[in-house]
Amino acid sequence: MEYELEPFNWLLAIGRWGSVTGAIALIAVAIAFVASVRLGPSGLTYFSQGLTDFIRDLLSMSPTRVLAVARLTLKEAIRRKALVVFVVFAVLLMFAGWFMTSGNNRADISVGVQIWFLLTAISWLILPAAMFLSCWSIPEDIRTRSLHTVVTKPIRRIEVVLGRIVGFGGVLAVVVIVMGFAGYIWIQRQVPANIKEQLKCRIPVYGDLIFKDRMGGLAKQGINTGDVWDYRSYIEGNTRARAIWLFNDFDENMLSDVDGDGRGDQLNLESRFESFRTIKGSADSVEQGLEAQFTLVKNVREEAFSVFGFSPEFRQFSTELLAGQFQNASTSLSEIASSITDGAEVLEPSDCKYFYEASRVAIVNMNYLGEGLDEIKDGFEDAGRAANLIKTKDDTAAFDNFSKTCARLSELLAEHSDHLLEVMPRLEVSLPNVRVTEYHKGQDQVPIDRTLTFTADYESLARFLASTITEQNEAKKLVSGESLTEDLARQLADTAGMSILNSELLVDVLQEELDAEILVAQDSMLSMANKISWINYFDQLVRSERLTSQDPEGWRLTADIYDDLVFRNTLRIEVACMNDQMFIGMARPDLFIRLPDNPFAVGYSKALLCTILMLVLVVVIGVTASTIVKGPVALFLTFGVFVIGQVFHGFMSDILAGQIESSGMISSGVLILQQRNPMAGVDVSRQTQNIIESADNVSTSLLYGASRVIPDFGLYSQSAKYVENGFDVPWSTSMLPAILTFFGFLIPCVLLGAAFLKFRELEAK
Amino acid sequence: MVAQENVIEIRNLSKVYRDFWGRKKVQAVKSLSLDVKRGEVFGLLGPNGSGKTTTIKMLLGLLFPTSGEIRILGRNAADVQKNEKIGYLPEESYLYKFLNADETLDFYGRLFKIPARERAERADRLIKTVGLDVARRRQLKEYSKGMTRRIGLAQALINNPDLVLLDEPTSGLDPIGTREMKDLILQLRDEGKTVVLCSHQLADVQDVSDRIAVLFQGELKVLGEVEQLLELRNETEIRTGHLSDEAVDEVKAVLAKHTSENSTFQRPRADLEQLFLRTVRESGERPGRRFTAEEMAATQPTEGNNDDSAPSADADTEDNPG
Ligand SMILES: Nc1ncnc2c1ncn2[C@@H]1O[C@H](COP(=O)(O)OP(=O)(O)OP(=O)(O)O)[C@@H](O)[C@H]1O
Ligand SMILES: [Mg+2]
Repeated sequence: MEYELEPFNWLLAIGRWGSVTGAIALIAVAIAFVASVRLGPSGLTYFSQGLTDFIRDLLSMSPTRVLAVARLTLKEAIRRKALVVFVVFAVLLMFAGWFMTSGNNRADISVGVQIWFLLTAISWLILPAAMFLSCWSIPEDIRTRSLHTVVTKPIRRIEVVLGRIVGFGGVLAVVVIVMGFAGYIWIQRQVPANIKEQLKCRIPVYGDLIFKDRMGGLAKQGINTGDVWDYRSYIEGNTRARAIWLFNDFDENMLSDVDGDGRGDQLNLESRFESFRTIKGSADSVEQGLEAQFTLVKNVREEAFSVFGFSPEFRQFSTELLAGQFQNASTSLSEIASSITDGAEVLEPSDCKYFYEASRVAIVNMNYLGEGLDEIKDGFEDAGRAANLIKTKDDTAAFDNFSKTCARLSELLAEHSDHLLEVMPRLEVSLPNVRVTEYHKGQDQVPIDRTLTFTADYESLARFLASTITEQNEAKKLVSGESLTEDLARQLADTAGMSILNSELLVDVLQEELDAEILVAQDSMLSMANKISWINYFDQLVRSERLTSQDPEGWRLTADIYDDLVFRNTLRIEVACMNDQMFIGMARPDLFIRLPDNPFAVGYSKALLCTILMLVLVVVIGVTASTIVKGPVALFLTFGVFVIGQVFHGFMSDILAGQIESSGMISSGVLILQQRNPMAGVDVSRQTQNIIESADNVSTSLLYGASRVIPDFGLYSQSAKYVENGFDVPWSTSMLPAILTFFGFLIPCVLLGAAFLKFRELEAK
Repeated sequence: MVAQENVIEIRNLSKVYRDFWGRKKVQAVKSLSLDVKRGEVFGLLGPNGSGKTTTIKMLLGLLFPTSGEIRILGRNAADVQKNEKIGYLPEESYLYKFLNADETLDFYGRLFKIPARERAERADRLIKTVGLDVARRRQLKEYSKGMTRRIGLAQALINNPDLVLLDEPTSGLDPIGTREMKDLILQLRDEGKTVVLCSHQLADVQDVSDRIAVLFQGELKVLGEVEQLLELRNETEIRTGHLSDEAVDEVKAVLAKHTSENSTFQRPRADLEQLFLRTVRESGERPGRRFTAEEMAATQPTEGNNDDSAPSADADTEDNPG
């Protein structure tokens, strides 16, 4: 199945609804106006009277009368034995149960199929009843004239329409609920105990997916292996290719609380990747699947500065910023600044444009980094603004100004480089490799502990040591008298959680530095003779390999997923394929954070609710149609709308959105007739082609109109698919659109039905 | 009360039935104008297909007039609010067959938003009034024609209406039912309500109506008070105690010269049936003409003295409108 991942934009939807409904209302009123004016001079009076009457009816609607009609409808359904459906359903379930278990005793017949069967049985059994009941009732009332006795009471016509809808809706809701309840019990008994835990509602949190190509450059898509190009993209094994998921609204609650202390302590990932082999390998290796590595990445510098690299002239500047070499970056920038003043004409206005954009991004990201960055942000702000003023290559004044602000920014970068290095970390935690099962063989669950242990790289080691030493130093625990505290190695091993071998190494190095008078022990504190920052200091130590781990395990550090790895509420997970010449394919929904499951009953009831909404929407359409045409015609109309809405709606939207290549309905027809391929185009004269094109424009507009006035019934069956696949029905991508669509059609349909019933004579014709 | 106000005003009302394609099928009502006054019982007569039901349906807004105007209870025919004070008994009782009598009245009562307790009381009273107490829990599909008529009448009165429109109220009723229906209509009139009824039971209409109108092929042929219409002006009827033959002879002799104090003198009445037959016959012979009360009365045929050509003697009395 394809999952809908984009939250439903309800504001946009309501706006669009308003305009479409408004347009239809205007057209209706205009038609009424023309029709009444044709009656002669008195027509105008009829028109205005009719309109005010209609509006008055609307305003004086009464729930009492609506409910009276609804009650009547309910009674009618019961007395007329519409409930026979129940019996059919029960019999069907019995048969199905017998068939599915005793047929070949396959316990592995998947739970999804049974849920599918159940939900489909419920909606498809009731659907005909919904259509017949709703399409026949009002025409029958008109035919037998029982409506005459009703509408000569103070009931508004709109109340008749609404009452019928509420009544049938109520009947159907009751039937669905009863069947649903029976079905729930059925499925609980049906599913064997050993796979009962498959009856669940997973709640996925999806991220955005981008890629890195084999050279490590960012890309929108991975490699096309010729499989299902649009859907899955592939990353090549043993290269720098990565699939990158960005979980943008990550919060602490997405961690599952396994030990029940009220604090989340595990991140549950679930993945479902496709593997693609270019070499066969042994049968064993096929069975084993491929290996993938998950890496959690927090790279503040990349977030903030990578956009500078979009312009070739600033690429080096960007690279240095990304590497945390702020001094070098400062130099690069000042060189660019002076080359501008030299009149070397290195920069294009487009470079400046990039610079402007990049400085915006930098500022936005720095806003998340706490105090002490105001000056540098202002530096970026000024330089960015100056860059933005450059519109032409020969605007020397603007270039001069830009050069000045760049020079200033360069000074600021140099000045703040230590602080920047401190607050802009880059942390990568790679998890042990995992096996990727083949796509169709199920999901892989990847539980990740909140606290991760990992082998430190240079930067994280320097950062770790700097923070540990600062902390201990401020607590005055490093120095006693003029020398390091005795037993400092043990103390560090205990408090900072480093291995004793490594802490001894650290103490040795510190002692050497003290002896060399680079460090000074004074007033119970350790300080540096030349006042550089601790992080810089340790960076140099680490890079000069004086702190290379004595422990074969390396420097083992810990990181907290939420506290250390999330930046700007985003958790970034990179996936790499570890096997040479193999590919792993993925699409957005193929990796998600799995929140604690909901009970099966939750998703199941949501699916039932969607079923009810769908059936009632059918009723709405049926009742509306039946106010103007007779039963059989209304039935035909309703059925048509349902089929189009169920089967073709997605297709229509795809054509309109240009996702499906379509050369227009008529030219496609001509192509088929002429048996030519679409690339070649139709073989007709220019003039005919113009005619075909404009006709196609009309047909596209008609298609647009149809896609707006025919409800997307697929929305409702979608909810069942979630449950079949063991997911909860998501609110924003499924329930909300289903509910809004329902009301979006209910309101205009009721109005239309009321108008039809009001402005027609209630005589059978 | 000075001038009686009109509960219904119909002006130049016409109705053309058209088929699906808008082609004219039949003109059911032609240029009809009449008023119904508050508190009267108004009989709408005419042969089958003369447009009575059509007129009533237009009054109720079930059909839309092709031309002409209607005011009913001071409102437009299309205005639902008028229905608050109207009771309507359709030609046949178009009710929901799967409901029983109680449920039927309860349902229609709800449409008037009558509070539950009062609804139950009224339903109870009306069911007793129309004599369906024993059958109140049976579904209407099991009812006989007359029983259906009775429950139809009950539903028409559930809102205690000011104006009651009864389309053939006595059709299907037994003689006792008919009697009760007439009593009920008179009782309604005594309560100050206005009743409009269509019926082919001319004797019954004659008994209860204050005024009548006769339609023929959609045209108004006769309109007036029953008293006036049925008066025979060219004859005198004497009613007195029993007389011997001699006495009769004597009276005859005396009458030739003068009158006696003890005797009652009045114009004899034709019955409505005769008026009706006469109207229909005349209308058939001379279409497009309307007859006044005087005209009808002056030429009222009596048994043995049937003079069909009489009305032609003063055919200029009134012109047919439109
Ligand atoms: N729905 C309709 N469509 C077409 N013509 C109709 C319709 N209803 C009535 N008519 C015609 O209108 C004319 C008047 O009919 P209407 O029912 O008003 O007569 P009526 O006076 O009530 O007759 P009756 O005494 O039989 O009830 C008749 O010619 C009838 O055929
Ligand atoms: Mg009739």
